[in-house]
Amino acid sequence: MNIGNRKNISRINEYETRLSDLYEEYYDKIARYVYVHISNKEEAEDIAGEVFLKALESLKSYREQGVPMQGWLFRIAHNLTVDYLRKMNKRRTVPIDSVVLQGNDNPANTAEKNIEFEWVTEAMRQLTTEQREVINLRFFGGLTSKEVGGVLGKSGGAVREMQRAAIEKLRGIMGVER
Amino acid sequence: MTEDFDRILDECIDRINRGDNLADCLSDYPAYSEKLKPLLQSMHDVQKTYTFTPSADTKRAARQKFHAALGKRRQMTPVLSFFKVIPRPAVWATVAVLVLAIVGTLVIRPILNSPTLVPSPDGNFAFLISDEPNDIGDFESLNVTISRVGLQAAGSVRRLEFTPETKTVDLTQLQGEHSQEIWRGNAPAGQYSQVYINVSEVKGKLESTGQIVDVKLPSNKLRISMPFEVTVDTVTSFTFDITVVATGNNGKYILKPQIGNSGVRQEQKLLE
Repeated sequence: MNIGNRKNISRINEYETRLSDLYEEYYDKIARYVYVHISNKEEAEDIAGEVFLKALESLKSYREQGVPMQGWLFRIAHNLTVDYLRKMNKRRTVPIDSVVLQGNDNPANTAEKNIEFEWVTEAMRQLTTEQREVINLRFFGGLTSKEVGGVLGKSGGAVREMQRAAIEKLRGIMGVER
Repeated sequence: MTEDFDRILDECIDRINRGDNLADCLSDYPAYSEKLKPLLQSMHDVQKTYTFTPSADTKRAARQKFHAALGKRRQMTPVLSFFKVIPRPAVWATVAVLVLAIVGTLVIRPILNSPTLVPSPDGNFAFLISDEPNDIGDFESLNVTISRVGLQAAGSVRRLEFTPETKTVDLTQLQGEHSQEIWRGNAPAGQYSQVYINVSEVKGKLESTGQIVDVKLPSNKLRISMPFEVTVDTVTSFTFDITVVATGNNGKYILKPQIGNSGVRQEQKLLE
């Protein structure tokens, strides 16, 4: 076995171990990231599981060039989410019954939660696609701005600027409509 | 100025993501606190709206599926890729080495075929140690240090190894129905024919005199040949039973694997 091939195998073995280590920390975050896009918790959980299987299948193509493995997982999550939305041909409106309720919620709380959910979703929808992605990866994916930059192909500074603009916009919309 | 603010806002978001509270960040940057507060409050509102905890059942099922796929890959990769990528002259050299290995030089085999399994609390395979009481009563303590555990796949030269998470066990605490789990993780599903443990040290303290004695172990390895199956969707617990016996009246003892009490069991009484 030549050195290059041996290195390749050991690199893939190392990536497998790292992917396995990331599972516990990132499964929930990826599920939330997907949920923000599709507003369906069960489907978001299924897609989160699929992300790791897809990552495992594609490990050969993974190269650590500026994008850490967790960032790469979110790229896969993004692609699977887009596929899902395309397949469902779903408009990104949120059905009122998609908000999961606790058993002991009273009707007034339920209605309030639904209104809150629609209100935040509407505010998110008014962001540009890139701003929404920055907010989603930062708030739900828990990635740093540098890691988000790696995923989106932007500098950390550009991400921080987009992030501030996005939150100001959200604040403006939510503040006015509240 | 804006750049500074962007950086501070970014730092606060990182801190909140790590579990800090909003007030701490504001108090660290009093000059910016008026501007920061509404933005971080918006972040909190958005996170609160979308945050949910995925169902434990769905997560568990997804984890099992992932580890099964990982196990399958690991089962296939080392052997296949080894032959696929090896240059032709080296193939012959390797075949020669393998032939030698088969006819007698069994030392080489573990080097070629011993991928290491990764521990996981939710794994499908658990490895336990137990002790059949023979002469264990002679000891106040009998600490056995296990450096590696290996599984031999049935009908194949392939071996899988793992390093115990708990390396040293006191056999005096593991008599009869007692056992101690020393590793849990994911093993590829399939049929296995043998389990072996590499023992690096055995230190016994005699009950009668308090003297510390070395207990002999021929070749530092204990093996149990026994067919068993590992599946993806169940937890297979393999108990490896070890017993200590006196070799005569010379005050010497040896360790032996105890096949009768070893094997795959569904329920074990574990030590806390």
